Amino acid sequence: MLTIVTGGSGSGKSAFAEDYLLRIGEQCQKYYIATMQVYDEEGRKKVEKHRTMRAGKGFYTIEQPVQIECAAEKIQEPSGNNAALLECMSNLTANEMFMPEGILQEDAVTKKIIAGIARLNEQLTHLVIVTNNVFEDGITYDETTMEYLRAMGSINEKLASMADEVIEVVVGIPIEIKGKGRTWQCR
Amino acid sequence: MKLVIGGYAQGKLCYVLQKTGEADCMIYDASLPDDTQQKEAEESNRILVVNHLHKWIREMLTAGKEPEQLLFPFLRKNQNCIVICDEIGNGIVPIDPLEREYRERTGRILIEIAKQADEVVRIICGIGQKIK
Repeated sequence: MLTIVTGGSGSGKSAFAEDYLLRIGEQCQKYYIATMQVYDEEGRKKVEKHRTMRAGKGFYTIEQPVQIECAAEKIQEPSGNNAALLECMSNLTANEMFMPEGILQEDAVTKKIIAGIARLNEQLTHLVIVTNNVFEDGITYDETTMEYLRAMGSINEKLASMADEVIEVVVGIPIEIKGKGRTWQCR
Repeated sequence: MKLVIGGYAQGKLCYVLQKTGEADCMIYDASLPDDTQQKEAEESNRILVVNHLHKWIREMLTAGKEPEQLLFPFLRKNQNCIVICDEIGNGIVPIDPLEREYRERTGRILIEIAKQADEVVRIICGIGQKIK
């Protein structure tokens, strides 16, 4: 089952996605697929904070900042019951797009990531992907950032169409955008 | 307590005034009412409305203060109040550290208010969507 979790900065989407994976993947070996590339102290702190959140919950961490399909090969027992939380699509997209050799275009980046996710999803009983609502600040950025926004938009659209469920988290409250018409109990 | 969130210019205050009745509200813009004002609201049986909470949080952070330390005791004391705040986290994560801190802290504060609130309403195009 593929689940997409979206939300803005500080919306509580990560905490929700983690709780959710722990619930649906109870019987599975759990993986945390980290896509963030750490450049500085703030990044290191953020990674540390997320590690603390996952501490003791039985997650095995896979660092996969680019080429997301390779995460599939790092699953220890591919034939077993495996569940993964991938965090997050905005970092993965930026990492794939802004390469040292230059900028990969919207179409190429979308194709690459969607193919990678499809490959990864085949290997898993549950895949929960955290993405980011970066679309609503009304600012026209430079062309490179706009290209990034278009790539993110197109990736989110394709992921949502592949997904069994899409959940938006608003002030910590999950809202189902696509799925079985569930209402969630507020924490 | 009630939390009302939504984007810029979505009709959040208007929604609150319509639902609650303007005469029954005491509105504070980007500020928290002081003790005298809180007492006044209690005595006149009116509801305290804190509008533009995000602006107040921003001012506090800019001044190097901790918004949580003032806000949460205020909310505990005034459990009938209505808090209105813009949704500010749905954009590109800014390069400037203070801008990032502002978004992150506002988000975390809203999660906490939402947990404590009896009702959370999100306003889109003037329409209230009750999410809690």
